[in-house]
Amino acid sequence: MIQRSTTFWMLLAISAGIGLFLLKYEVKSMEGKLVTVHSKTLSNLEETHVLKAEWSYLNQPSRLENLGRRLLDLHPARAVQSTSIENIPLRPVSQTKVIDPPAADQVPPHFAKIRRKQ
Amino acid sequence: MIGRQPLFPRKRRREPPVPPNVETGRSRLLITAAIFSVAFIAVTGRLIGMTMFVEKNQPQYSRSFKQVVLETSRADIVDRYGNLLATNLRTASLYADPRLIVDARDAANKLARVLPNLDQRSVYQKLTQKRSFTWIQRHLTPRQKFEVNKLGIPGLDFREEKRRVYPDATLASHILGHTNTDNKGLAGIERYMEASLHKHKKPLQLSIDIRLQHILRSELFSAMRKFRGIGAAGIIMNIRNGEVLGSVSLPDFDPNLPNNIEAASLFNRATLGVYEMGSTFKIFTTAMALDTGKISIKKQYDATNPIRISRFTIRDYHAQRRWLSIPEIFMYSSNIGSVKMVMDVGIATQRSFLKKIGILHPSPVEISEIGKPLLPARWKEINAMTISFGHGLSISPMQLVSGVAAMVNGGIYHPPTFLKKEPKKINKGRRVISEKTSKLIQRLLRLVVTDGTGQRAAAEGYVVGGKTGTTEKIIGQKYNNKKIHISSFIGAFPMNEPQYVVFGMIEEPNVAKKKNVRATGGRVAAPVVGKVIKRIAPLLGIIAVDEHETTLERQLTIDLTVQKKGKRHLASF
Repeated sequence: MIQRSTTFWMLLAISAGIGLFLLKYEVKSMEGKLVTVHSKTLSNLEETHVLKAEWSYLNQPSRLENLGRRLLDLHPARAVQSTSIENIPLRPVSQTKVIDPPAADQVPPHFAKIRRKQ
Repeated sequence: MIGRQPLFPRKRRREPPVPPNVETGRSRLLITAAIFSVAFIAVTGRLIGMTMFVEKNQPQYSRSFKQVVLETSRADIVDRYGNLLATNLRTASLYADPRLIVDARDAANKLARVLPNLDQRSVYQKLTQKRSFTWIQRHLTPRQKFEVNKLGIPGLDFREEKRRVYPDATLASHILGHTNTDNKGLAGIERYMEASLHKHKKPLQLSIDIRLQHILRSELFSAMRKFRGIGAAGIIMNIRNGEVLGSVSLPDFDPNLPNNIEAASLFNRATLGVYEMGSTFKIFTTAMALDTGKISIKKQYDATNPIRISRFTIRDYHAQRRWLSIPEIFMYSSNIGSVKMVMDVGIATQRSFLKKIGILHPSPVEISEIGKPLLPARWKEINAMTISFGHGLSISPMQLVSGVAAMVNGGIYHPPTFLKKEPKKINKGRRVISEKTSKLIQRLLRLVVTDGTGQRAAAEGYVVGGKTGTTEKIIGQKYNNKKIHISSFIGAFPMNEPQYVVFGMIEEPNVAKKKNVRATGGRVAAPVVGKVIKRIAPLLGIIAVDEHETTLERQLTIDLTVQKKGKRHLASF
């Protein structure tokens, strides 16, 4: 009885010791990794920070305006170039006649409405 | 001896009485066991505590429990869409320890090649000094730092420094302000928000839209140059909540170079400068008169003759010399009519009305440069008269803009703000005039642009309305009608449903001498506002409409007719 329980406790102690040893080293290496990841993150953050400032510098409205004027064939939209959907007239009746009317069951509802007006 | 015997036998057998020395031995053992078990429990407890919980003063060699954040010591400032306006950058500054330099001539030669703005001779002198520290160049770019490192010269090293950077340079300089080398705010929002910029990590979001700011600045700049003015200012405001979308003061400065700023360019004309605003004040006078209910829009005033009071004579610049209806007084910018209106409502009403719309107190906008309005020492009859057309009382453009915003937005005064707030936190504002009066003011402002002094502010499709203002320079004790002090225009659009107010002014403009024209608000400032509106309206998502459409015209026109000269119609209401 005594012998058996002693060996049990001894084995337990030894395995706990080995386990602790391994765990300690694993934790240590993981912590090392963590530190590198952290410092990398920090340097990346720093880089992004600088890049953001640079991006904003490159996006100065006056610079974009100049670039646009020089390199693009675009002009600011004028008021007359926009309108609302209600102001667009429907297709004239004479033109709709030319198209072969699709079969009654295929006519989309809004088309049906137009045709009814004819 | 006793031999093996259980400590606490289960059954008490009849045994010979235990000798006293054994009894004491047992009790000592018991005490010792108790002490040990308490100690062990304490150790266990501590062990659990240390493994499971983190304590405050425990040394940490990895920041495993914290999120990694970049320490910048001063929060960024961004515009309403998150574009960076001010940030802190870590920069490397190059210094040398001359005692460690082996070959100073070679080092100076190499450095001058990598850092082109260095003078080779002065670097050589620095490197041969008998000191242990000398700056070579402050604030290097990352690329320059890399190049210097690549040279591999012993005795050179970097020191990390923080530097406030403004990517847009001069564009929003008066709003942002600038900082000194110790990162302390010296002007603008940098100074006003000093404590909060240090405390918070999150970027400070302004209500400014950098695109609108640019448009406003470039138009004001070209007008200032064209009319050879000494300064200019402009403001764009969202009248529904008082948010300032753009605020410009010229001349301006580059906050990146705090040592090169001229004192004169630091002056913020939009918030710190106070000016006699001239006829733009007639918006307030008319709104007040109509809102009291004592004066109807149909009322007419005799503007045939100038008003003489003590040693002053009040004239009209665009004199019509007849009876004028209220819309005509507004359209022709009649001083005589405005004076008579104020005399009808009374001095006290005028004063309390101006107080209500924030004219008599410094603007509450969040910036350290706020101008105090210049008020008459005693508000006498003559003061009330001149104030009715914007003379004898000086206010900042910011005050004027927020006052006019309240006149056209349906009658709600919103304190102006440079900060973008969550919709819930926005000040609801307070009613200062009735919606009906505001509608009339909208029509009157539209009239000025369609038929009056502000026709050059028209931006086809965006239904601009507004009012011109011109004040003369005081030379000696008198207004000199040859020299203009301030030419301004305040416009709102789209007038059928006003959303934004745009203000522009040029200080001391000049027009070509040969022509017999004056550099009035209508000639100088109105075109600026018109051009600005043309360019910003599409960005603000305002759809152009047909200005000659009948329902729109009916909504915005106003009856001008004066019935029979000289016959005074008493208003009935």
